[in-house]
Amino acid sequence: MATNRTGTAQRPNGATQGKICQFKLVLLGESAVGKSSLVLRFVKGQFHEYQESTIGAAFLTQTICLDDTTVKFEIWDTAGQERYHSLAPMYYRGAQAAIVVYDITNQDTFGRAKTWVKELQRQASPTIVIALAGNKQDLANKRMVEYEEAQTYADENGLLFMETSAKTAMNVNDIFLAIAKKLPKNEQTTGQGGSAQGRRLAEGDAGAKTAGNCCK
Amino acid sequence: MAKSVYSKVDEYGFERSENFNYDVHDKFMSQYIRVLTRRSQRWNSIKGNIFSKPNVLKRFIRKGVPSDLRTSVWMRVSGGEEIRTNSSSTYNNLREKIDNQYIIDIIQIDLPRTFPENIFFSAHEYLPKMLFNVLATFAHQNKDVGYCQGLNYIAGLLLLATKDEEASFWLLKALVEKILPQYYIVTMTGLLIDLDVLDELVHKYEPVVHRHIQNVGMPWAMGTTKWFICLYSEVLPAETVFRIWDCLFNEGSKIIFRVAITLIRLHKDKILQTSELGELIGCFRDMRNHESVINCHQFMQEVFRLSGNLSNSTLSKLRAKYNQERTK
Repeated sequence: MATNRTGTAQRPNGATQGKICQFKLVLLGESAVGKSSLVLRFVKGQFHEYQESTIGAAFLTQTICLDDTTVKFEIWDTAGQERYHSLAPMYYRGAQAAIVVYDITNQDTFGRAKTWVKELQRQASPTIVIALAGNKQDLANKRMVEYEEAQTYADENGLLFMETSAKTAMNVNDIFLAIAKKLPKNEQTTGQGGSAQGRRLAEGDAGAKTAGNCCK
Repeated sequence: MAKSVYSKVDEYGFERSENFNYDVHDKFMSQYIRVLTRRSQRWNSIKGNIFSKPNVLKRFIRKGVPSDLRTSVWMRVSGGEEIRTNSSSTYNNLREKIDNQYIIDIIQIDLPRTFPENIFFSAHEYLPKMLFNVLATFAHQNKDVGYCQGLNYIAGLLLLATKDEEASFWLLKALVEKILPQYYIVTMTGLLIDLDVLDELVHKYEPVVHRHIQNVGMPWAMGTTKWFICLYSEVLPAETVFRIWDCLFNEGSKIIFRVAITLIRLHKDKILQTSELGELIGCFRDMRNHESVINCHQFMQEVFRLSGNLSNSTLSKLRAKYNQERTK
């Protein structure tokens, strides 16, 4: 937590100097499609066959390096059950990125994913980067959603798209990396201190939404 | 209970986390065993009908119901027993009506996802089966609630405490339909109102913490949804949760708020040291291993040290106020 988030920072290994950017990312999607499992794989490199159902939401962070930039994701992993929907806006409000997850073996979850995408397009920040993840690719023999169908939908809506498997780790780091690449990293936020910046992002006020929240 | 002291699994079958504090726990257990023995002797030496003496009953329950008496005491004080007696259908009749495939499917998805780290759920089939029966029977007889995620943890802990499927069903019914506001209905209105109530109560009891949380920008739902929805299961150690539930069943939902305020008080310094949302959320998430909550006996004493105006009637007024604001 002591990392300096503003200005140029010295990496702990002392190798290179670079920017540190912090982004708020939210995971949305129907219950049991693998949202928490994708996060657990990305953050801890682990997979649990039976991941506890998420109540409310869970918060985790993970940092990845992209060329000379360190990207820190603040990840909000939300509950999938429909009735928790009323709590969702506080998690996607001010988010710079979203991963909308469905289960490739379940057509209904793809429909629900489309609903989430629509809601994000209407309600979230206009600059939000949305990725669509067709999870449980390891169960491709039980596939109910065709790859092409999802790809076409993603293209039409300007979404990043990958089929992923939290179980085998396929495309998990890749989808976060693709999001990191697509996020704007060169705009300057107003001269706030590190903690103030984190706060701004979390509150999702208008400034943070559009500013790209990064630092030279 | 003594056998669990050096075990990787606690007395209710939960695997201990990597950062489980064995020293703190050992120290606590060596005292708590004496407390449990004493409480057990006291309960067994009660003369006459304790249920006809509400003040004695309340004092006894606040000090902890012995585990072998929990099922009967909970059934009695929660109203579960009364609901069972007055019900036109037996539990078995209700259970036979499980036929809605949608409900069956969503509950089945959550069965292996309920306490996978608990040996009674992961190593045996009978407890998940009982959990399914309780949840599906409940969902079929209460169409407004149906199945809401979170109920799986409550029913799971009820089963671990009572080892009795039927009692768990009536206790769940008493909780959801009688003791708690409408947390679990499709709109989750009761939850949203209680989050507003919590905001006001924290402002009243801990204004400095309230201001800090506001400044950092954490909506209460982010830090405390589980407190309400899971009634502290998945938040605090099982024994602490059962001690809370002893009082919740007897005294009603004000206990949830008393516990919430106490948790915030005990973690006040840590909360105030945070400067950004992630840290603050972490503080709320990681209360489980704190010495003050592992020592459930002392924790419950703290809960009741809270000055007396957090009554059920105060709570009703606050709920009515925020309900009105929501419907404006």
